[in-house]
This record gives sequence, C-alpha cells and structure tokens, in this order.
Amino acid sequence: MSTLPASARRYSAWSLLRARYAGPGYWRPLWSGRNLQPAYDVVIVGAGGHGLATAFHLVRDHGLRRVAVLEKRLVGYGNVGRNTTIVRSNYLLPENHYFYEDALRRWETLSRELNYNVMYSPRGVLDLALTNDDFPALARRGNALRLAGIDAELLDLPALERFAPELEPRRKRRFPIVGALLQRRGGTVRHDAVAWGYARAASALGVDIIEDCEVTGVRAAGGAATGVETTRGHVQAEQIVFATAGHTGTIGTMLETALPIETHLLQAMVSEPIKPLLNSVVVYVSPGHGETYICQSDRGGLVMGGHLDGFPSYTREGAWHRLEDVVRGALELFPRIGGVKILRHWAGTNDMTMDGSPIMDRLRYDNVFVNAGWCYGGFKAIPASGAAFAQFVATGTAPELIRPFRLSRFATGHLLDETGQGPFPVRL
Amino acid sequence: MTRLACPFCGPRELREFEFHKTGPAAGGQGEFERVYLRVADPQLSIEHWQHVGGCRAWLLVHRNPSSGLPLAVELLAGNAP
Ligand SMILES: Cc1cc2nc3c(=O)[nH]c(=O)nc-3n(C[C@H](O)[C@H](O)[C@H](O)COP(=O)(O)OP(=O)(O)OC[C@H]3O[C@@H](n4cnc5c(N)ncnc54)[C@H](O)[C@@H]3O)c2cc1C
Ligand SMILES: [Zn+2]
Repeated sequence: MSTLPASARRYSAWSLLRARYAGPGYWRPLWSGRNLQPAYDVVIVGAGGHGLATAFHLVRDHGLRRVAVLEKRLVGYGNVGRNTTIVRSNYLLPENHYFYEDALRRWETLSRELNYNVMYSPRGVLDLALTNDDFPALARRGNALRLAGIDAELLDLPALERFAPELEPRRKRRFPIVGALLQRRGGTVRHDAVAWGYARAASALGVDIIEDCEVTGVRAAGGAATGVETTRGHVQAEQIVFATAGHTGTIGTMLETALPIETHLLQAMVSEPIKPLLNSVVVYVSPGHGETYICQSDRGGLVMGGHLDGFPSYTREGAWHRLEDVVRGALELFPRIGGVKILRHWAGTNDMTMDGSPIMDRLRYDNVFVNAGWCYGGFKAIPASGAAFAQFVATGTAPELIRPFRLSRFATGHLLDETGQGPFPVRL
Repeated sequence: MTRLACPFCGPRELREFEFHKTGPAAGGQGEFERVYLRVADPQLSIEHWQHVGGCRAWLLVHRNPSSGLPLAVELLAGNAP
C-alpha cells in the first residue's frame, strides 16, 4: 500500500476497486491530524469554505509552504455545513455578477481540480415573480446579466410551463405566478463535500488544519501583527487571515475596529425524502409570507429556507415564527406537500454587512486580512474568493475581481447595495 | 427568545415586533460611524425595535445575543429612532 497519507491518494474508479479488496485499513482520514507548530507564514482563522479554499490556493498557486488553518470547532461546523447549497451568478450589480460568475465557472470544474466529487448540479435557478412589480425587476436583472454575457432567460408562463411543469404555473393561487428569471447553469453543490474536498486537497499539499483551536487575540509589535493567541497557546505568523464568517464582528472587537457588520441568524430545514417533485431551485418572495427558496436534494428531501430571523443573535436557534413563514410560503406554491414532515431544522450565524456585499480587505494592520461579510450568500462564492484572496495575501495586491469589496467603500460611498435596502440587514 | 415584554402591552409574541437596528458604535460620532458601524459584543446588544403589531411604540431593547434573552425593554427616548 502507498505510504502517502490517504489525502494524497488520487480517487478514481481504479482506487475504488482497490479499496474494495484492500480491506478496512484502506480508507484513512481525509485530512491528517497534524500538530500545531509555533510559527507559520500564514495563519488562516476559520475552517469554513473561504478559509480552506484560501489555504489551498496559497500553497498550490503561490508556493507558500508554512500555512495553517485554525478552527475553533470542527471543519464544516460553520455555515459551509449549514447552507442550502445554492450556486448562481445572477446578481444585478456588475461588481457582484462578474465576481459570482467567476465562481460559477470554477464550480463547473472544481470536482476535477480537487479530485473530489462536490456534486455540482446545474439544475437551473428560477426566480419567480408573484406580483406584477416583481416581473419587470427580474427583466431588468436579466438584461443586466445578458449585457455582461452571463446566461439569463426571462420566462413567460408558457415558457415556464415547459421548463418546470411541476410548478403548475397557471394554477390559481392567492398570488399567481407572473413569470420567472432562469439561470440554467445555476443549481446546487453538495456543501459538506466542498469543505471536505478543500480540506483534503489543502492537507495533501501540507497545510496544517488544526481543529479545536480558537483564536482569542492578535499580538502586535511596531505597528504590525506578529501572531495570534489561541486556546492552544501563542502562534507566530507573518500574515493572518480572518475567514470567520458569523463571528467576524467580534474579530473587529478583538482588533478594536468597529465593522459595518451585524450577526443575524438564517434558518433552513429539510423534509423527509419524497419522490422526485422539483427539478430546479425555486426562489420567490410571497407578498403574504416573505421570501422562500426550495429545492429537492439528491436524497429526495425538500430543502427550504427564507429570510433572516430578523435580529442579531449568536444562538443558532431559529425563531419559530420565521420557520412558520417559510413553510407557509412553500405551501402557497406547492399545496400538495402539506402532508410531508420536516425532518431537520437548523440555523447559522450570518455576517450581515450594511450593504449586503462581502468585505475582502486588510484589517487594522498591513499583514492582517479579513475575508468575510458573506451574509446569507457566501457559499456560492467560495472557489472565486479562495483563488482571488490567496493572490491578495501572497502578492500584497488585491486582484481586480475583488477590489470593489474593500472596506473603505462604506466611508467613500461606493456601496454595493444589491437589493437597495440601505444600511439595514433586515428588509422592512 | 419567543416573546418580548412591551412596557405597555406586556409579554407578546416575537412576531408582533420588528427589529430596526443595533446602537451605533461608540467612539466616533461622525455620520459614517453612526450609519454604518456596529458594536459587536456577544454579551450585550443595544437595539431599536418597534411594536408594529401592537401599540407601535419604539422600544430600546438590551439583549444578550449569545443567549438570545432580553435584559431590559423600555420606551425609546422621544419614541422615535
Ligand atoms: C441556513 C443558511 C443557508 C444558506 N444558504 C446559502 C445558499 O444557498 N447559497 C449560498 O451561496 N450561501 C448560503 N448561505 C451562506 C453561506 O453558507 C455562508 O456565507 C458561507 O458559508 C460563509 O463562509 P464560510 O464557509 O467560510 O463560513 P463558515 O463555514 O461559517 O466558517 C467560519 C469558521 O470560522 C470559525 N471561527 C470563528 N471564529 C473563530 C475563532 N475566533 N477562532 C477559530 N475559528 C473561528 C467558525 O467556527 C467557522 O467554522 C447560507 C447560510 C445559512 C446559515
Ligand atoms: Zn406594545
């Protein structure tokens, strides 16, 4: 048997076959439990999608050798393992759609790149209009995308009926469907596989992934950070990256820098598995119950989510009334799922920025970086963010693609307020 | 947290209330700080809420965002945010 760690072994049909005859010792952990070293070139805080992808690209693309990812809980314990797996690039603002389009293109080939099946499923993302006001707004967004060369199709009812007959677009409803915007290359990616795939690939390249290690402070001297304090002692670092998602506000507090971020909960739930009902990802805002999005997992469960709970929280306990809103919204579209049982329900802490777009910049010191503010939509960004942010950290210059996401935009007025709701994470 | 105690209406379901924003970051009192920057203290969040589904009063709420529990609810000075 090969002496390489399991994480460095290539997966293939052949390796599967070999595993079948090699006995129980063949499979080993995807990332190896290495020991925390006293010093690194780059310390990344947070083993979510963004932290792990950044680590992977730092080593693979820029040749850095001593890189660690410090995680206070477990790989995948944060939002990367809690999201509803939707990927798409159909944003209105150019800064956003070019960035998310870069990510979508990378999702298309990521399984091969990581040698790990992340189950990218381009099943189509449908934004439904349930009011006459929503439809022109979708048309405007679709036109902005088409001008940028990004796929988007505006569907009237007959076209929607052809694409998704299961929605029964002409059915009589309290808020009847008016039309839809379709992005065919949008869809879903298996969220856990993204965390595991990046962790495995980074570990194979020599990245130390240290779980159960919380960063509690930053040590600085002479105007630069020198390392981090952790629950496992001091670690020296030439550069520090915070990819801490829902806890980034408190990282600001740690660095005595107030950030334009509030932490809000977002819930999701999954039903018991049922036979195939829904082929695409469906997103809509019901005038009665607010936002709902719904898709069917490969196992058959209906995955559903909606709007934020509506107030700051770190509890990860979803508010009951929001769960009710989401279920009502889902029933409005699919009355026939009324008898289906909810199997699991959970919430994640979202780093909501005051314009709803991410922040990728330095923080307080020249050698401290923050990659956060992903709000409720940062899963789809992971491959683009990892590649671009690694370039930023390795070269000191932010690539064009992520320059609009600098922190100073709040002071200079160059906001990226995709939904036009002003400096409030909760839409009123 | 499933309820909030309005000083006028008593404990009511959370659904009746709307959160508006957290208090501005202490320190800088400029327009930018007031509009965009937020205090991130996992033990104490000072917030503006409105009892939209009840008496419509504006409320100043002190809450612990790590437990979710309200610590104090009172009328917001001037009854406006
Ligand atoms: C219910 C729900 C549904 C969502 N649906 C979608 C969707 O369909 N599509 C989409 O694109 N996005 C979605 N999102 C958003 C997306 O999941 C997040 O924006 C994204 O995962 C955040 O980036 P991350 O993966 O790096 O974060 P995380 O996985 O949260 O990683 C951050 C990590 O940092 C660790 N950490 C924090 N502080 C410290 C510290 N001091 N020391 C050490 N470690 C620390 C945390 O434990 C955590 O593991 C959803 C989110 C939720 C909650
Ligand atoms: Zn009241």
